[in-house]
Amino acid sequence: MNELDIVDRVAGLAPGSQAYLTRHKREKVAAATQFSDEALFDPALPDLALRERLLVALYACALSQATSLSVHYRERLGALDIDAGLLDQVARTALDEVAEPRLRELLRFTHTLITQPVAGDKAALQRLPAAGLSTPAVVALAQLIAYVSYQIRLVAGLRALDALNAMHPHNGLPTVNPSEPV
Amino acid sequence: MTRLIESHGFTNRVLDWDAWLDIVELEHATPEQIAVLEESHPKAKVSDYYLFLVHQPEILRQRSAAFNAIMYAPGGLPRAERELASAVVSRINGCVYCASVHAQRFEQLAKRDDVIEQVFDDPYTAGTTPRERAIVQFSIALTLHGGTVEPEQLLVLREVGLSDDEILDLIHSIAIFAWANRLMLNLGEPEDATQAR
Repeated sequence: MNELDIVDRVAGLAPGSQAYLTRHKREKVAAATQFSDEALFDPALPDLALRERLLVALYACALSQATSLSVHYRERLGALDIDAGLLDQVARTALDEVAEPRLRELLRFTHTLITQPVAGDKAALQRLPAAGLSTPAVVALAQLIAYVSYQIRLVAGLRALDALNAMHPHNGLPTVNPSEPV
Repeated sequence: MTRLIESHGFTNRVLDWDAWLDIVELEHATPEQIAVLEESHPKAKVSDYYLFLVHQPEILRQRSAAFNAIMYAPGGLPRAERELASAVVSRINGCVYCASVHAQRFEQLAKRDDVIEQVFDDPYTAGTTPRERAIVQFSIALTLHGGTVEPEQLLVLREVGLSDDEILDLIHSIAIFAWANRLMLNLGEPEDATQAR
């Protein structure tokens, strides 16, 4: 793969950089990550609007303080016609201010999965069909939140690897600063 | 014979898992769903977890491709250390089912269970060598504070001998269990629920 995929772009990896080359030695993982993104944000996926999915992703990133991915999802939401007030509520994680009942249920489920995954239970899951979601839509929603949890950690890890290589390019050996006397 | 380890509700016993909503019945599955189940896991057709996720076959197909490439690809971080990281992540997230599966895998690969007992007991002090302790500490940090990683945290891994390729494999192994644990914990439960929660 020669062009930059979403994770490369959000992590700020330059083509040919050490971190980029390291990542793409595991090309099967990189490809499956990108294809997961495409499947989860497929506009044709029924029962769970793209707008809802992108708002859930933005909310998950905001809760996780994942700055670069929050920017990414805000950009994707920018291509849709979304009320600026709602975008702001989601980006501020102000769940109680969100007026749409169905969206509030989606975000409530997201909050549990992101901040305290062990706190979820059968009753919490059953609120989703009660809010009008089909079982395939519930699966898509859970996969989406879980995928974003993965994506957040992958991007943060790759950013750090890229920064580490800038500081210590020779795999652990510090760079000699030529301006300092030896 | 494997030694039974039980601590803080975690176990290395074999557990089952039940979905909380309707699964796809195999006799009603489409050819695409059958194909994705076969690609995903040898026992997917009798597993509630896969039969539930296959309601969205293309999403499951890509998730399984990522999971299998991360956990089973040759080279890079030794597979036992990938399993150790996933057991630590599952212990921190409270996923009894995943912790059990990956404790067993670690034991099969490493032919020992000492570090698993430590992880179940107190993950924050676990590790039988400096390298293991560094892997455990990074697994905890990336699980709890996923949005930010400092390069100094990776430098610690280099200092105990991990190459960049191994660091990438470790990041992948931790991140894929951020994914897996959230599904296992929120879509169903281990069959022996009194032990699990």
